Amino acid sequence: MMPTDRSGSDALVRLTDVRKSYFSHRVETPVLHGIDLTMQRGDFLAIMGQSGSGKSTLMNILGCLDTPTSGSYVLAGQAVGQLSRAELAGLRNRTIGFVFQSFNLLKRMSILDNVALPLVYAGVARKRARERALLQLEKVGLADLAKRQPNQLSGGQQQRVAIARALVAEPPLILADEPTGNLDTRTSADIMAVFAQINQARGQSIILVTHEPDIAACAKRLVRLKDGLVLYDGPAREGLHQLQQDDATEQARRATRPAEATV
Amino acid sequence: MKFTQLLSESAGAMLANPLRTLLTMLGIIIGIASVVLMLAVGDGIKAFINKQLSVLGSNLVLVQADMRKSAGARLRTGTVQTLTLDDAEALNRLPSVVGAAPMLTTWSQISVGNDNSNTQVQGTTPASFKIRNLRMAKGSPITEVDVASAARVAVLGKKTAEQLFYKADPIGQTIRIDNQSFQVTGVLDNEGQSFDAGDIGEIVIVPISTARVTLVRTASPRSVQYIVVQARSAETLNDMVVDVKELLRDRHRMRAEDEDDFRVVNFGEFAKSGEAIATGLSVALGFVGAISLVVGGIGIMNIMLVSVTERTREIGIRMAIGARPADVLWQFLIEAVTICLVSGVIGVALSAGLAAAVTATGKFDMTVGFKAVAIATLFSCAVGVFFGFYPARRASKLQPVECLRYE
Ligand SMILES: Nc1ncnc2c1ncn2[C@@H]1O[C@H](COP(=O)(O)OP(=O)(O)OP(=O)(O)O)[C@@H](O)[C@H]1O
Ligand SMILES: [Mg+2]
Repeated sequence: MMPTDRSGSDALVRLTDVRKSYFSHRVETPVLHGIDLTMQRGDFLAIMGQSGSGKSTLMNILGCLDTPTSGSYVLAGQAVGQLSRAELAGLRNRTIGFVFQSFNLLKRMSILDNVALPLVYAGVARKRARERALLQLEKVGLADLAKRQPNQLSGGQQQRVAIARALVAEPPLILADEPTGNLDTRTSADIMAVFAQINQARGQSIILVTHEPDIAACAKRLVRLKDGLVLYDGPAREGLHQLQQDDATEQARRATRPAEATV
Repeated sequence: MKFTQLLSESAGAMLANPLRTLLTMLGIIIGIASVVLMLAVGDGIKAFINKQLSVLGSNLVLVQADMRKSAGARLRTGTVQTLTLDDAEALNRLPSVVGAAPMLTTWSQISVGNDNSNTQVQGTTPASFKIRNLRMAKGSPITEVDVASAARVAVLGKKTAEQLFYKADPIGQTIRIDNQSFQVTGVLDNEGQSFDAGDIGEIVIVPISTARVTLVRTASPRSVQYIVVQARSAETLNDMVVDVKELLRDRHRMRAEDEDDFRVVNFGEFAKSGEAIATGLSVALGFVGAISLVVGGIGIMNIMLVSVTERTREIGIRMAIGARPADVLWQFLIEAVTICLVSGVIGVALSAGLAAAVTATGKFDMTVGFKAVAIATLFSCAVGVFFGFYPARRASKLQPVECLRYE
């Protein structure tokens, strides 16, 4: 495991020994077993890990959508655990832009109004919010679709609208859980280009969950999760290299001992 | 989040499922329409009673002649004319009485040329015109001189005049009442039901003395059938009735144990019972309205709960983006109130249409007034807030993660 020596006092994200268990019918299912994670402003972080390793669970905690069972989370200098629901909503509104795998645009609302919504919740007047939303749509190249409804757009277009919505309030952190999960390779590349561009040009921090090494390669830093623990935290290039080797040994192991390959 | 934004979003939500919204609104529409109609009917009946009273003349009682009885035994059998002109004059002098008019009435055949009809003829004095609020459309009323000289003059009701003379001027013309000639001196302007003679437009009025000589046979030369007496005000009406009874018993030399040989019919009480009917009707309609509003409100609550469930994911997205619990609460509350308000507007329009249709028949005036509209607005808002609050609160308490996971 790599040392977490990035613990500057102005860190955007600081998780300390974050644990999360789900409870159903009083049965505890531990998912995260103590995650420490620190992230500076301007970083671009990819999270990888097998299905069920707790990536989405971690993302929900990072996004203040869910609360950890124990451990502390400081986001943009605010101790998240002490905030009320209304304060959390305000913090999300100001600090985080969400991009979801399934786009999650609101039906019955024009593209423009979808993009303007975070500003409306921030208390910006509707007219001004729409102006800013249109500007943001121009940046992702969809200004001429502003009047359409979400279901009149392709998946890639919808995801770009979602990115525009995540960016419109200019939050310091973008959280994207498998943003290319529903898209083909070429569209995925387009979307990743947008992410890389906003990270470079605007210095917005990005945390992105993916299963694909190609996608993770766009990030600066890689975090690999395994069974609710951080398996690797370091530069993306080395991490991916290591991942490749791990996969190769795994495959070799499977080839020689097929009986155990059912895990 | 701004109010206008909330409003346009709730409009969007309502239009997303127009049939469902309409069906949901029905209960509230019916409820509000009933409440508005209740108020319109109440006001209408009160207006009707007032109009009626202005036709009758206000604060009137009728003293009818009855049989004289003494301790159970009739003294003068077969006569029902215990009242006299002198009684009327005595009543007129009572301080609590504004005026008293003695009456002799009969049904007679009146004719002009070959046209004839059966009509009630009232023999009375000029006092009758004043206390019964009779106005002249044309010509002049019966005068004291006419009464003194038993003149053969007649004042016609409006419809009677039209029936007998069509468009021609009846003043100065001669009509025959039970085959005796009378000269028409005036035509009444009044219309509507009177308390003693059906439609006031269809009567003929002659001097009481003339009626006695020519049309009505009486027990004695001074007896009358009834006397119309007017009190100073509605408040003093009952006191006046006491005075009237006392005076008549005294004049008729009755002993304490004797029953009255006259009957007093009080129209103030008549009006009161009319108002009681109005109140009863209003209460019934109000009850229907209240039940519809409650049932409609429960419908709204149900549909809002369904809507919250259907839009769980939307709620999750909004919360992720920055909607505070209060924003979500307001969104659903405003939606419920908007549904109710639109229903209220439709309900008011519906009842206004109905009221206009009823008024158009000419039998009864119904108007949907400002008060009714204000109350309807208030009620629909109240129903929306009351029944919308629980679903809205439930929506606001949802956890963002769970909402986003909801399919
Ligand atoms: N609401 C929940 N209740 C109970 N268990 C849950 C719940 N959500 C997730 N889990 C469990 O927690 C573990 C981690 O789930 P999570 O969604 O974080 O995985 P993931 O890494 O995002 O997987 P994937 O790559 O398939 O999206 C899984 O074993 C899952 O079954
Ligand atoms: Mg996941």
